[in-house]
Amino acid sequence: MSTLKKPDLSDTKLRAKLAKGMGHNYYGEPAWPNDLLYIFPVVILGTIACVVGLAVLDPAFLGDKANPFATPLEILPEWYLYPVFQILRVVPNKLLGIALQTLIPLGLMILPFIENVNKFANPFRRPVAMSLFLFGTVLTMYLGIGACLPIDKSLTLGLF
Amino acid sequence: MSRSFKLFLCSFILGFSIFLVPQPSWAYPFWAQQKFENPREATGKIVCANCHVASMPTRAEVPQSVAADSVFKTVVEIPYKKDLQEIGADGSKVPLQVGAVVMLPDGFKLAPQERWTDEIKEETQGVYFTQYSEEQENIILVGPLPGDQNREIVFPVLSPDPTKDKNINFGKYSIHIGGNRGRGQVYPTGEKSNNNLFTATDSGTITSIKTNEDGTQIINLNNEEGESFTENLPAGTTLLIKEGDTIEKGAKLTEDPNVGGFGQLDKEIVLQSKARVIGMIIFFIGVGLSQIMLVLKKKQVEKVQAAEGI
Repeated sequence: MSTLKKPDLSDTKLRAKLAKGMGHNYYGEPAWPNDLLYIFPVVILGTIACVVGLAVLDPAFLGDKANPFATPLEILPEWYLYPVFQILRVVPNKLLGIALQTLIPLGLMILPFIENVNKFANPFRRPVAMSLFLFGTVLTMYLGIGACLPIDKSLTLGLF
Repeated sequence: MSRSFKLFLCSFILGFSIFLVPQPSWAYPFWAQQKFENPREATGKIVCANCHVASMPTRAEVPQSVAADSVFKTVVEIPYKKDLQEIGADGSKVPLQVGAVVMLPDGFKLAPQERWTDEIKEETQGVYFTQYSEEQENIILVGPLPGDQNREIVFPVLSPDPTKDKNINFGKYSIHIGGNRGRGQVYPTGEKSNNNLFTATDSGTITSIKTNEDGTQIINLNNEEGESFTENLPAGTTLLIKEGDTIEKGAKLTEDPNVGGFGQLDKEIVLQSKARVIGMIIFFIGVGLSQIMLVLKKKQVEKVQAAEGI
């Protein structure tokens, strides 16, 4: 039903582009006005409606007044810091904990330099990189969940 | 003369009966009320945990949002095993009692009785609610109550109206809830209650164990240097040791009789404005209509494109 423009194959420039795997924006549904003018606003309005609904039904919560002299019973950083916080929490030596935390930005920094050791981009042709990535993801989630549990359950997640 | 004597006698007997007869109705939260202006410390700890040292879970159900000036229920669940018993202050076995504290946001308070629904009246039968203090209507106490009938305590709460009280605003607030079952481990004076594990203060050999009439026990020991010392145990303890035993410093003298504990949690509640919700619904209808219109317009344009060719 939607409007589809056919590629003009008599155009040599387009053919040259297509041969290189480019030029796909020259055919198919036209962006203007079909997509940009009519469907983009639908999505934008939907997003605004979601934000307004959350703002009204579940407004932001002001916590307790900050008091530098009273440490709360349970301290937790922002959610994206849970895994590194857990490293700091379970490692017995604070200096060691800081050192382990430092490894994370350092590891990310050397990534561009070791990335091209394997010339393939396909994840299935990069077994070492893929297994490291998956292991890192699982470890991060495990540490993140552990940070939310009491310290005696944080390593076993209370499962054993 | 005789009248004032009678008065004196009456007040003396009444006053004395407070010490003789257990008065569960105003017993234990009363201690916290006397000592703390606010039952929640700056760290977030509810002060009940100072005496009820043992920790056990407490659950609560609070509505996600409430309208202004409306009555809603806050349900505090204090789970423990059925028919569990603990030792009383005199050493006898007694059923557990429960108690709860609900710290509502400013302006919230216990709903007046005339606004209770029949359902609430039924659910709160036999439960007596008290304010924490004269000024703090938003802190409600319950207990001690017999735990077997009151494992779930329903608090009928009245929300404030921000249009009438300018100090109250619509928004999200936190409710701090504490629930306790069983007796505490420490008295406010710092003494241990008999609901405790007792350990030896020094190592030595037990020479004799004496039980007094009131059930308290005195254990006489000789330490390694031959000096004698005593351990005093309150009534109701179960000894793990006998005469002639040699015990280390810190060794257990009694079993741990405690079966209860205190638990606290925080819940969030939204004081919701009806105008905001109505406005939001109108806005949603507007958004939906404009989305439909945009899609219809696109379909119309596509027809033109099909006719004219692009």
